[in-house]
Amino acid sequence: MVAPVKAWARLENRVDLNERYIQLNFELVEPHTLSFQAGQYVSIQVDEAGHRRSYSISNNPEIDHGFELLIDLVPAGIGTQYLQNLKLGDTIHLVAPLGVFTVARTQIEPELYLIATGSGVTPFRAMLFDLLQTQRDTRQITLFWGMRKVEHLFWVDEFQELAEAFPQFHFHPVISQALKEWELCRGRVTDCLLVHQINYQAGFYICGSTPMITDVTAFLAQKSVPKDRVHFEKFF
Amino acid sequence: MTNQLPPTPTLPPTLPLTPTLPPLAPASSLVNPTPPVVVTIHQAGKYEVRVIRDKCIGAASCVAIANKTFDLDEENIAIILDQHGDDDETRLLAAQSCPTAAIEVIDTETGEMVWPR
Repeated sequence: MVAPVKAWARLENRVDLNERYIQLNFELVEPHTLSFQAGQYVSIQVDEAGHRRSYSISNNPEIDHGFELLIDLVPAGIGTQYLQNLKLGDTIHLVAPLGVFTVARTQIEPELYLIATGSGVTPFRAMLFDLLQTQRDTRQITLFWGMRKVEHLFWVDEFQELAEAFPQFHFHPVISQALKEWELCRGRVTDCLLVHQINYQAGFYICGSTPMITDVTAFLAQKSVPKDRVHFEKFF
Repeated sequence: MTNQLPPTPTLPPTLPLTPTLPPLAPASSLVNPTPPVVVTIHQAGKYEVRVIRDKCIGAASCVAIANKTFDLDEENIAIILDQHGDDDETRLLAAQSCPTAAIEVIDTETGEMVWPR
């Protein structure tokens, strides 16, 4: 892992993905580049008292002159309020890269399952770009992504395009409050895992709410998946 | 019986805030200057850090920032390797970067909780 550095970055773009999620694009000011691994996060100072909040980087690590963050507007804590009120051109102070939620380069895991709820999909976007586009990883990779409402999904076009371009990648959005016309998985992500054929020798990467992580890790333990094949990042 | 207070212990002299610099050497001595004597004073720092195990999620940001102070144990929970492995500023930054505020920083001189606050 690369040692973290203190850095300054400037807000370059803001994309309102839907009523609940925004994407912020930052350009590094000092230093000009940042090396990180897909799955790592930045720690941003969000007030004068020194409070910091952590946000996973969502872009391909190949892009080293800036980074993209996903912000969940609910609940509107101090981190969300600070970032939501930034204007284009404003600078932020951060420490990065941080975190150990990364896919091992050794490919010891024969297949990968990425399991997320809500904004927990953020590190997986970086991992998918890195594994598929940069590393040219040929392993089967499946993303299960749980969301309460279909209108809160985002990046769906990107994931579908990746699935078309890379046949070894499979994408399963799961909606817990789905309307009748929703034809894909509904319920919890564990419900979706039950209806798909899963390779329990694979590596499992889980990111999202604590209850979801508890459910999925218990489910995988029942299936005798070794602990060292289960990696998770709790969101809080 | 008379209760007598023990004699007040003699405190060691405190380090001056600004070290006294030696007088400037005459210009003639700069032609063949004597190699400078470098004195390193290890100051332990005034902060003490504590890990609240129940809060730690093993994100390892503390280890990344202050790797001489923190490590993760076999349960992936932060532990303290060396209370003064890093300087005060670095250990405070490690605590502030913890996503779950699992690290407390106490000012040992005042007893005050420096972080979280």
